[in-house]
Amino acid sequence: MSAPAKHMDVLAAADDLRRRTLVEMTQPLERLLYLASTRDYNTGLYYHHGLALRFSEEAACEALAGCHREAFEELVAASLEELVHELQTYLESTRVAPNDFIVAWQGLEPYRVAVPVGIDSLSSELVFSNLKVALAILQSRLDARPKPGASRRPSPVQ
Amino acid sequence: MIGLLLYLLVGIGLLVVLWLLARREGAPVEGCGRQFVEARQALRTLQLGLLPENLIVRIFDREDFRYVMAAGPGEISELFLQERKRISLMWVRRVRCEIRNLMQFHLGYSRLHAKLSLPTEIRLALDFTLLLLACRALRILLNARGPYGAGAVVGVMTAAAGRVCAASEKSLAFLNPPALESFRRNSAGDGAAI
Repeated sequence: MSAPAKHMDVLAAADDLRRRTLVEMTQPLERLLYLASTRDYNTGLYYHHGLALRFSEEAACEALAGCHREAFEELVAASLEELVHELQTYLESTRVAPNDFIVAWQGLEPYRVAVPVGIDSLSSELVFSNLKVALAILQSRLDARPKPGASRRPSPVQ
Repeated sequence: MIGLLLYLLVGIGLLVVLWLLARREGAPVEGCGRQFVEARQALRTLQLGLLPENLIVRIFDREDFRYVMAAGPGEISELFLQERKRISLMWVRRVRCEIRNLMQFHLGYSRLHAKLSLPTEIRLALDFTLLLLACRALRILLNARGPYGAGAVVGVMTAAAGRVCAASEKSLAFLNPPALESFRRNSAGDGAAI
């Protein structure tokens, strides 16, 4: 009896997570990064205090892992246009200067550590590759924008 | 005299062939569990990781290319084509590798357990050959014409891979616990192409 009860707990915890926390995050990319941040890098286990209190640590962990996989699969299925839009929305939500964000993401590739366990390497490579192109598109859009005051202040690089 | 020599040579030849056939070792039955597990793993990788329809559509989707062409300068289109070519070549390499694993299993071990009819075995052999040829052709086409130059071969390859997976699934069916089988029958498909 314990196994089905546990499975029911996981389903309930996942439902709770979707309704209370993930509902605010409309983009899969945002959900993916948030859910990856709830995972302990040393153990690979997910932890969410509120969810663990309401259900159990195990149920919360499995629910978080399931939603993480779900978000990643949505990202794999997204077209490049959708991904660019998602990245743009995420960039705006961070309130970081767009250029700094793009430079950091191109250099650090933080999305590489946000992949759920058990995902085939081809799917993750496809997402990484699309994100790389999406970042290049955002960068080109940024470069094309007229820079206010650019003519007055010389670039520090020059 | 010449006729006699000819008959003697043919006779010796046949004896040598018989000796070689008698010496040939069959697949050892003991310790072949590992091969079954590896074949099962190859099948799972193909079905869940490499052949789901939405993944193939995404890799070879022309809409992405049209979007990139419209969205940015030439360097971005170049970067995109380079990346898609890399991913599609990776896909072909992985499919080929898993198909070869399944082929090794079918050549050596599946006959010990699976009751495959002769027409099924012939069809399977043809599909394996077709698949390996398609992989080779696809690699050449992708290298020569880029990620969007081999749509028809991708279709042929995925269809043949689907048939091979279906046949392998039957050969490995005895590895599925009965409880899981009934669960699988009652649940909806997850969108995989096969």
